[in-house]
Amino acid sequence: MVAEIALTSAPSRGAAKGGLTAAMLQMAWRAVEFRIALFVFAALVLLSLVGPFVFHVSATDFNIMQRFLPPMPLGGSSWPHVLGTDQLGRDLFVRSLIGLRNALFIGITSVVGMFVVGSAIGLTAGYMGRWADLVLMRITDAQMSIPVVILAITILGVSRPTPASIIAVLILAGWPAYARVTRSVTLAERQKEYVRAAKILGASDLRIVVLHIAPNILPPAAFVAVLDVARMMIFEAIFGFIGIGIQPPTPTFGTIIADGTQYLLNAWWITTAPGLLLAITLASINIMGGTLERARNKILQGIG
Amino acid sequence: MASPLLSVRGLSVALTNRGPDRSLVSDVSFDLHEREVLGIIGESGSGKTVLSRALVNWIKPPLRISAGSVLYRGRDLLQLPPREMQRLHGREIGYVGANPGVALDPTLPVGHQIVEKLRAVEPEVSDREAKERVLKLLDAVRIPSARRRFDEFPFQFSGGMMQRALIVDALVSNPAFLVADNITQPLDVTVAAQTLRLLRDLQKDFKTAVIFISSSLGTIHEIADDVLVLEAGRAVEHQRLDALLRTPEHPYTRRLIEKVPRIWDAAMQGSQVPHESEPILRVRDIAKTYHVRDRRSLFAKRSVQAVRGVSFDVMRGENFGIVGESGCGKSTLSRLLSRIEAPDEGEIRFKGKDVAHLSSREMLSLRKGFQLILQDPFNAIPNHFPIGRTIAEPLLIHGMKGKREVRERVLSAMDEAGLGRSLYDSLPVGLSAGQRQRVNIARAMVLEPELLILDETLSALDAVEQAKLLDLFENLQAKHRITYIYISHDLAMVRRVCTRIAVMYLGRVVELADNRTMFFDPGHPYTRALLSAVPAIEERPYAAERYLLEGEPPDPVDIPAGCTFRSRCPFAFERCEREDPRLYQRDAANLSACHLVDPADRRADLAFAISARSVS
Amino acid sequence: MVFALDFFARRLGQGAVIVLLVAFLIFTLLRIVPGDPVRIILGPMTPPSVMEQTARELGLRDPIPVQFFGYLGHVLRGDLGHSFIRSAQGGNTGGSRGDTTHENQNRASVAGLILHTLPYTLQLAGMGVLFALLIAFPLGLAAGLNAGRWPDKIALYASSVMVSLPNIWLGVVFILLFSAKTGWLPAIGYKGFAYTILPALVLAIELAPVMMRSIAVSVAGNVLENYVDVGEVRGLSRWMIVTRHVIRNAAIPLLNLFGVQLIGMLLGGLFVVEYIFSYPGLGLLTINSVFQRDFPVIQAVAILASCILVAINMLVDFAATNIDRRLQY
Repeated sequence: MVAEIALTSAPSRGAAKGGLTAAMLQMAWRAVEFRIALFVFAALVLLSLVGPFVFHVSATDFNIMQRFLPPMPLGGSSWPHVLGTDQLGRDLFVRSLIGLRNALFIGITSVVGMFVVGSAIGLTAGYMGRWADLVLMRITDAQMSIPVVILAITILGVSRPTPASIIAVLILAGWPAYARVTRSVTLAERQKEYVRAAKILGASDLRIVVLHIAPNILPPAAFVAVLDVARMMIFEAIFGFIGIGIQPPTPTFGTIIADGTQYLLNAWWITTAPGLLLAITLASINIMGGTLERARNKILQGIG
Repeated sequence: MASPLLSVRGLSVALTNRGPDRSLVSDVSFDLHEREVLGIIGESGSGKTVLSRALVNWIKPPLRISAGSVLYRGRDLLQLPPREMQRLHGREIGYVGANPGVALDPTLPVGHQIVEKLRAVEPEVSDREAKERVLKLLDAVRIPSARRRFDEFPFQFSGGMMQRALIVDALVSNPAFLVADNITQPLDVTVAAQTLRLLRDLQKDFKTAVIFISSSLGTIHEIADDVLVLEAGRAVEHQRLDALLRTPEHPYTRRLIEKVPRIWDAAMQGSQVPHESEPILRVRDIAKTYHVRDRRSLFAKRSVQAVRGVSFDVMRGENFGIVGESGCGKSTLSRLLSRIEAPDEGEIRFKGKDVAHLSSREMLSLRKGFQLILQDPFNAIPNHFPIGRTIAEPLLIHGMKGKREVRERVLSAMDEAGLGRSLYDSLPVGLSAGQRQRVNIARAMVLEPELLILDETLSALDAVEQAKLLDLFENLQAKHRITYIYISHDLAMVRRVCTRIAVMYLGRVVELADNRTMFFDPGHPYTRALLSAVPAIEERPYAAERYLLEGEPPDPVDIPAGCTFRSRCPFAFERCEREDPRLYQRDAANLSACHLVDPADRRADLAFAISARSVS
Repeated sequence: MVFALDFFARRLGQGAVIVLLVAFLIFTLLRIVPGDPVRIILGPMTPPSVMEQTARELGLRDPIPVQFFGYLGHVLRGDLGHSFIRSAQGGNTGGSRGDTTHENQNRASVAGLILHTLPYTLQLAGMGVLFALLIAFPLGLAAGLNAGRWPDKIALYASSVMVSLPNIWLGVVFILLFSAKTGWLPAIGYKGFAYTILPALVLAIELAPVMMRSIAVSVAGNVLENYVDVGEVRGLSRWMIVTRHVIRNAAIPLLNLFGVQLIGMLLGGLFVVEYIFSYPGLGLLTINSVFQRDFPVIQAVAILASCILVAINMLVDFAATNIDRRLQY
């Protein structure tokens, strides 16, 4: 029955111009939480870009006079130290914003990188099949079975960690997941009629993969990759916490939280307040990603 | 007459999606008596599936029953509390749908699920008793080795076998009435005919009333006592079957009867282009075997012989048909002919060139000459390209550069295929199946091919759209002298357009005949079985009682020695066990792979004479 | 039966290749990134000649393939080697002591170190997965069965919040709230079972959202399957359909997820959580070993981790083929 209704009411199904991608965006946009999350996220990004200039407060200069100022509504706080100050009197809000900017940069760049590398390998393995598939997938399995943290501390533990090396490590750890997903979708896609049609027309394998298969399967995967931006930001924080992230004096969430643990009882806000800002950012990303993922699932399951 | 078993009054169902309600079934009323078989005929989109679900109170949002009543033994099903209704489902009311493959949990054995259902509706039955009952019924629907099949999983059942198991599932609790919604639609003709015959027998044994819903009048003709005609959700006519066919009252019914494709009453209208002596396509002894992993022994492989030595010639300008049921190898053959895969053995010569031994550059230029149009109009064209771009793709692949020139070629191909030029820049979203198929045709035509292979190209379309495209093909043929190969399971269509036809069975051509011989005097028993199984409302020369087959084709992995058709053939004799028949020449144009037509075998002559006499 | 033999023969073969690859990767990586372990073993004040001698004795100056195959030979004979840093008596030796030589006999055996710490880690992992399941299963199931309605929304919000809490921050906040301020639960180190609870909770909150979402998606997808719809008209009750069929079918993608994603996450999470809580498990051992360039320990842990992953993947896939026989074909 579902099929018959789907056919008789076909226009509503294909209403979105531009196919799957546009349909996903439209469906996600209809959800209130998506719009709220997008707004929060946009505001935070804007703040992280312009905030440090607006507040005229240095993130790195010590100010012994203003140590341990609590965050804003509490007694003893003072403008413009919205989130208070740390043990050296540095403004936590500006430090967090700079940390956020770095985390976002690392998160987004690394996800783009792992998406590109992983998809290329997954498409190749899935389309070529046979030995290429076998070899690439075994490498993928091996890479996947090294925990990220081991890989990261092995590489970053000694060499001085820079944003570039952190991004490289994250890409190295993250690509296999994309390769696997892309490969399995490609395997299914390879059987489809449009691929057969292109073969009959005489299209080369490269042409089929790049022009026909990739545009069909990559956009839905790309939307879900939004969720990974948040994961990578968490990893960036973990690296900072362990001491293998971007090195001081540049503030990162991980170092701020790690430094604050020594003063946990007296100045709890040093750890918690910046962490909360990070959590809010992550939540906005995750809600957007989650809504997009659900929209994709719904569309792929044929409802909506 | 006694009071009816089921009494439907003013039943209406509406779609309550966004926007105003849309009525899918309006004001349907009828009575169903004990042991009666009521056929409901409706075209796709007439709301017949919705009606069939409403009859068993199985309607879910966004659908809603907006009015009416369904009185079953005096109780209105539509007013019953859910618990009461659920007690009737499966116990007194049976339902069999059109998708046997997905009706059961794929991860549990079929027999166990039927037992589970039986014990759910009749908790007092013990496990052993339930199993015995199910086994008995599985035997009754002639599922071979039912005891073994009982423990097998849905994916190990063929479509026809699964549909029988679901009939068992519905009848095992001995319901008062059964709703059968389009149950033969996904099945091959011979299997569908077997299933119908079975259902009719069981219906008599179990004294079950049946509501049989179908979009094919030919199918309803085989089973129903009364017929209800559904047009756009309304019941427009309700008569005894023979009366309906003789004296249809409503114009819609008349149109419906006219539209039923005729096989024997119709004349062939296909290609009239004179034949040349030199074939455009010459196929010699091609074979293809696939290797799959064998799960029964370590590291072993099993070989599936999909195509086993097929030979034929296709002359320039003719319409060549290839027919057969699923698993006969016609889709593999289509892949070989379109050179997506290479045959293991044999050769395919297109205009005298062996396509297996060409460099990729030569192959690319040869590809322009032959094109294939696929069945599924929704998946065969990419959704992310504008239509014009899709049609231009073959030109770009074949290295055409000038933008203006490409555009011109595409537009003229669109004109030829009957696509409006305004579609050039729009995406295919929202196109109908017929329009999409035209995009496919334009994309093939833009290369100006000499040979078009139509692999079930028209199967997904309704009769009207099918007729329009057949006309289009005819025009293109007249204009460009194109040769067509129709690969199809639709005998009525093949009858209309094809000059010569090859019938395939288990990877072989068993009959190669011209149109007339194929439909009026076929040499192979399988061809006659096919003809006897086609749902039709006309008088047919081959009666199902005599020619219809039992069982299904053997597994292409373990092909028995001798004639592969022997196990199902009503005319098999001892030579068939020893010797695999080759294609024997019956006369100048017609060949058959059956010992009965072997001119060298005198006994065969005799047997054939007998069988021929019994036909007339 | 034949299938099981065939399956394990194939997968054990593939698994061996994977473990070998991982071992080689880590082995090489350790030796090409800068940082000389000898300097840490002997301390910065050691004369270069002594350093060279020790390095040669440890085989660190041989070509990498030679080192690798030598190491592999030992591993295959069951010898994981000795720590560069830790003494057999427990506790670090290392540069600060000012040793001028390095004797293997005084160093702790890697196998011993792992066997000593592994039980703590297993306990933490078990508790973490248990807590995660307790959170994820009911919520995920409710969400999947009521797709688009309020249980689904609640699950979405809950998982979005949980997945947004960085474990390092959550660990510190938990220590602050439940240990430092209230004294309800102990937090740092390990002196009894109660020390496992807080880290396990942090671990669970990391794992639960992924589980919850997958359960919800998988169950929701199965509810849409035709057999569920048809089951109703065949006379099966909703309860029977869900408990006997939907959960069974939904388990397959979940098993897959468990093998591919969750085990990796769990291992990664364990390292971080053990580090935050100074929990004396394998993770803490590894992190310290990395900072001390204690190659034998790092290599052994990497090999162990990939063995565990391979084994769990294999078992999970085998279980899946037993639930859905189609996967055997």
